[in-house]
Amino acid sequence: MTPATFRWMSQDVPFRPGETIAAALSAAGVVSYGRDQAGAPSRYFCGVGACQCCLVNVDGRPIEACLTLARPGLSVTPLELDHA
Amino acid sequence: MPDITPDTLNLTPDVLIIGGGPAGMSVAIECARAGLVVTLVEQRPRLGGAIFRQPVNGVAPLALAAGPERLKARLFKDFAAQVARIHCVYGALFAGLDADGLAIVEDRQTSRVLPFRPRALVLATGAVEAVLPRPGWTLPGVTTAGGLQVLMKETGRAPQGRVVLAGSGPLLLALAAQLIRLGRPPLAVLEAGDPIRRPGASLALLAHPSLVSEAASYLATIALARVPWHRGAQFERIDPCDQALIVTWRDHKGHLASLAADHVSLHDGLAPNNFGLPAEARGGVKSSAGNPLVIRVGDCREALGAAAAVAGGEATGRNLAAHLLTGGEVIAAEATLARHRSAQHHIARAFAPRRGQELATQLPDDTVICRCEGRTLADLKKLVAESPGLSARELKLNGRFAMGACQGRFCASNAARLLGELSHSADQVPVSALTGQRWPLRPVSIAALAAAVADAPQPGSSTKDDKDIR
Ligand SMILES: Cc1cc2nc3c(=O)[nH]c(=O)nc-3n(C[C@H](O)[C@H](O)[C@H](O)COP(=O)(O)OP(=O)(O)OC[C@H]3O[C@@H](n4cnc5c(N)ncnc54)[C@H](O)[C@@H]3O)c2cc1C
Ligand code: FES
Repeated sequence: MTPATFRWMSQDVPFRPGETIAAALSAAGVVSYGRDQAGAPSRYFCGVGACQCCLVNVDGRPIEACLTLARPGLSVTPLELDHA
Repeated sequence: MPDITPDTLNLTPDVLIIGGGPAGMSVAIECARAGLVVTLVEQRPRLGGAIFRQPVNGVAPLALAAGPERLKARLFKDFAAQVARIHCVYGALFAGLDADGLAIVEDRQTSRVLPFRPRALVLATGAVEAVLPRPGWTLPGVTTAGGLQVLMKETGRAPQGRVVLAGSGPLLLALAAQLIRLGRPPLAVLEAGDPIRRPGASLALLAHPSLVSEAASYLATIALARVPWHRGAQFERIDPCDQALIVTWRDHKGHLASLAADHVSLHDGLAPNNFGLPAEARGGVKSSAGNPLVIRVGDCREALGAAAAVAGGEATGRNLAAHLLTGGEVIAAEATLARHRSAQHHIARAFAPRRGQELATQLPDDTVICRCEGRTLADLKKLVAESPGLSARELKLNGRFAMGACQGRFCASNAARLLGELSHSADQVPVSALTGQRWPLRPVSIAALAAAVADAPQPGSSTKDDKDIR
């Protein structure tokens, strides 16, 4: 059975049921989540919803990748693209 | 665990518990045993909290040391025995207590805001890790040690590539042992303290045999895997270089050393995750009309670890149940905690950094102190130079330190400490002056909030009233 995936940039990221978006991105080797509105690099940091460094847009809404469960077909994008 | 749908959700439980870690679970068990109506809200999809975090289906949980493993087995067995009487709401975040005494919970599964009006609100939100600022701490690939551990516990996988652990404290050793068991030993553990050279504190820990045997099991695993544990290491900086992170430190003799890694995990201790939480009202303090009695338990009250979270949670849960059923004071479980407090005190002494504590002189001026607002040490120095005697409040309002999205969870204590150092003040700058009580704790949709509050249960409604959401 092919695993379920969600979309990150131009990549289909596979995940196991019950995994967070951050866990799936980590397994896919994605470490940088682009930048936040203030220009700071976004990335997984505390894992417990405290630091707000892992915010990504899910269905157009900024939300913590470390708390949000991955769902099939979800479109996940950085808050701001990293042009650096 | 039975899922409950909003249709059957009671918005006026006797006890609303925020956080499904050992502390929150223990309170839930005791209150359910006493026959109270209990609802437990947890932001993650599973119970267990920081230490007993559950893996996704089909993945074996990471082995814990013998002591924590026993504690976990007992806790989950006791919880299972009461589970029919505890309503668990997963994937839902507590956002705060509003001015009318409603406990606002955002259910992320259904995108609804749940306005609870419990008789008692028990906050069991755990700890956050302390991380000292260093050049490069905000780079992608740098996480907290607990953050890396969360990933490993939930997925059963270690990250791909080379890992360096740095900072201070026993959690680094626990994490190193877990990485080794997953077949990916860290390149090194950089420890600012040197417990071996603090025999006084280390000997005092012998009074706590379960902690000693836990530490010994980690150290044996680390020694067997030949992972270097560099004690007395002064961590200097992390630099990005060709996809890698170069970690630089001074060894105990003051010599510079460096390693190339893909992941760096930092940890400098634990602090209560009490940012923005409503104040406690317990004991003689009467909660104002319509407002729930507010109680904190576990690490969000005082970061004393899992055994203390369970002991404190059980004592507080029994106490609270007695209070709600028959009246009487709700007293803190102080006696239960004294022993755990002394153990944590000795651990902190054993791991005290070997080198000078002064941060302001160690760090380069461009070090980011407050990540969310991009504030550096240079910004802080400028503020202090321009207005001597700057208060923590001014630092926040004028300097925008601790004003960002994390609400100061990762910068407030560092900013307060640096302000104290720079203004050469003998008094410690209170961290609370930089954080304060903020509402909501997390961003909530205003429209959903307004809709929910309009239908909220009124003060005085009890669990027997027909106030459930339809
Ligand atoms: C990342 C991390 C890793 C740790 N690892 C270990 C370890 O390996 N060994 C050890 O002995 N100790 C560890 N600790 C210390 C640990 O905090 C205690 O041992 C113990 O877990 C404390 O129990 P608790 O119930 O007080 O808090 P926790 O176990 O932290 O439980 C708090 C719970 O509250 C939830 N929560 C927080 N805020 C909200 C909110 N606003 N709305 C809804 N839910 C919320 C969290 O998701 C969590 O499940 C760790 C701490 C951290 C922060
Ligand atoms: S990693 Fe800190 S909030 Fe998600």
